[in-house]
Amino acid sequence: MLKPERMVKVSVVGPKDYFEKVSEILYDLNLIHIEDPEETEYFKLGEPFEKAGVVSRSLVQLRSILSYLKLDPEKYFPKRRYRVEEVVAELDAKLEEYRNEVGAKIDKIKSLQEKLKALEDELRVLEPLKTLGIPPRLLKGYKTIKPFVGFVRADPRPKIEEITSEYEVFIKDYGKEYVIAVFVKVEHAEEVFRVLQEFGFREVTVPDIEDYDARISEIQSEIESIREEIKRLESEIEEVKEREADLMLAIEEYLSMELEKSELPLRSLVSKYVFVVVGYVPQKDVETLKSRVEAETDGKVSVEILEDREKFEPPTKLNNPPYIKDFEVLSTTFAIPKYHEIDPTWIMSIFFPLFFGMMLGDIGYGAIITAISLYLKRIFKTEGWQKLLNIGIYSGIASIIFGFLYGECFGPFVVGEGLSPSQVHWFGSLMAGIYAFNHGHPIFDRVEAFGVKALLFITLVIGMFKLLWGFALGFRNVAVEHGYKEALLEKGCWFIGVLGLCFIIFGFTYNLGLFTSPPPEGFGKILPDNLFVFGSYTVSDARNVPLPIPGLVKGWQMGVNVFYFLALPLILIWFVIFAKAEVPKMGAMGIIMGVELLTWFGQILSFARLLAIGLASVYFAYVFNYLTIKMAFPPGMAILPVAIIILLLGHLINLILGILDPGLQSLRLHYVEFFTKFFEGGGVLYRPFGRIKKFLE
Amino acid sequence: MVSLIGDTAFIKGCAAIGAGLAVGLAGIGAGAGESGIGAAAVGAIAEDRGFLGLGLLFTVIPETIVIFGLVISFILMFAYG
Repeated sequence: MLKPERMVKVSVVGPKDYFEKVSEILYDLNLIHIEDPEETEYFKLGEPFEKAGVVSRSLVQLRSILSYLKLDPEKYFPKRRYRVEEVVAELDAKLEEYRNEVGAKIDKIKSLQEKLKALEDELRVLEPLKTLGIPPRLLKGYKTIKPFVGFVRADPRPKIEEITSEYEVFIKDYGKEYVIAVFVKVEHAEEVFRVLQEFGFREVTVPDIEDYDARISEIQSEIESIREEIKRLESEIEEVKEREADLMLAIEEYLSMELEKSELPLRSLVSKYVFVVVGYVPQKDVETLKSRVEAETDGKVSVEILEDREKFEPPTKLNNPPYIKDFEVLSTTFAIPKYHEIDPTWIMSIFFPLFFGMMLGDIGYGAIITAISLYLKRIFKTEGWQKLLNIGIYSGIASIIFGFLYGECFGPFVVGEGLSPSQVHWFGSLMAGIYAFNHGHPIFDRVEAFGVKALLFITLVIGMFKLLWGFALGFRNVAVEHGYKEALLEKGCWFIGVLGLCFIIFGFTYNLGLFTSPPPEGFGKILPDNLFVFGSYTVSDARNVPLPIPGLVKGWQMGVNVFYFLALPLILIWFVIFAKAEVPKMGAMGIIMGVELLTWFGQILSFARLLAIGLASVYFAYVFNYLTIKMAFPPGMAILPVAIIILLLGHLINLILGILDPGLQSLRLHYVEFFTKFFEGGGVLYRPFGRIKKFLE
Repeated sequence: MVSLIGDTAFIKGCAAIGAGLAVGLAGIGAGAGESGIGAAAVGAIAEDRGFLGLGLLFTVIPETIVIFGLVISFILMFAYG
């Protein structure tokens, strides 16, 4: 869970006669991640097995048919799965059938479509000529007269007049242009043509026909029959698709598998008599691989574990239990962890829903998000979507839980003073009734001033915690790769510095009176007043008495309290270590680089978005509720339907924002503020030789 | 000169204005920052749909500035509001 799966490097060596057999076994086991080899003097890359040519040719044909049929193996889910023997038995016959049934029909459709296009082009010429009203035989075939037939942008008659008066022009309006026929003597033809070009003349070839109407109706009936033919062919193909989709994809899968198997030599080294395959196998599966290969080849092929210290770069196989596995979509979007690194997915699986819930925190919205995710899960079946929608469900549930704490269901029912619950929420009195156990107050009221203060402080503490945790993990990663000294200089010093910052923030918060001001009604009322918390210190004491933290209240040192005194030595220690690390590298500039400590301060503050984004959506909801209640009551006006439309629209917008923003910001808090402290990434995902069958049994 | 309002009220008013400015100006700044990133991200997404997640993420990065503004305004309101 914490680290990727442990791997060992193995070599599979044997005589070439067994190569095909070994390829079958390895593919079936689906365990070895093959390392691409480099050629040496005696060992060269191999050539694909003989069957590769035939298989790949069939595969190309089949895939082109599949792509025409829009059958995507990734997205299609089979109703029935075939056994390999079934596929092998029918393979040739079926391929032949597809070639004739579907392939030939697809070709026919394509040629028909070309014909259709030619006819439509002709029609496009005939229509304007028909508007002109001159029979086609009169538009060409003169000896001393030159006809120009085509389109122009404007009437060219005045210009032609300037050249010659012996001309004849027929011009008709045709959409944005004019269709025109100009007749002039041959000797003026060139000049007139130049004039016509100025008017954007486009010539039209006059077809060899007798009558426009006859030809047009002929073409139209031809187009009609071609369209019907295409439709018929398409429906026939569709029928085949309905009937054969499962088998087609099963054959595609079978052929792909065969092709991959026969291309194994391209990823291994061969000499005259021997082949070598080098790759990585999960440690727990080495014995399976070894025993199976050696047993099935009578010990002729051997599997050895390689103790290669120089080139040990295993792939990363993330190793997480089901719930955490869903979050791999999010963590691997940032980067794939290197083999030696900590896999941060499990941290994300805890904090992502937590942050999401903290920000959105609304029973109603949470329930809708959960319901939508559950519904979409039945539609989008690909693995990526399923994982993402699972995350949606977890986040929705977290929102419901936090919504209960915050006392929000499509908005808050307590907003400041002076407004009763039924004034700010459609079901305000009902909500207040539910929270009767807490004197009609939410368990944690984040709309109220004290709640804002407290939540701000809580978010900052979460920020400090995550930054420190990030540096601690970074310390571990660097220590594993380069030793403790390097780790202390690179990450440890920042840990100390940020700890100092945390105390400064604590000191400041103390001065703002967050620890000392008594919480208002509703906070902590769940606990009985006379409950002993610590010794003789009761809950009511906790409400009334400020925490006993020493601080100066007079003179120029006013506001200095014990937290600042704790922060000072930490900052000093940080600065000394930091200078030790940077000055040798950068000289005096290194000291100035210490300003970077402020970046971490900014990143701690950045966690305040956990409060801010939530508040924004709370006030959105509150405004829409309040507005529409005001519109709807007192009743009697026809404004109630309008109010309901506004209410629904408002909540819809808020819900969309409520999914997008908390999701993105929660991701960002991980990627930017947390991962950068320890997570480098750059690993290669584990892709074993073999496949998980989808259409075959 | 006759003061129209009391000192406390004046300070409160100034704090409220300051809080508003902190959020508003920071918002304008973040918006300006995001506009460039957003345009670039949309361009990248047009090239490759797989960039969607990362593109959205880059786009929200400058929002931190608004959060700073918001924190400042909260502190102002807590101290003087």
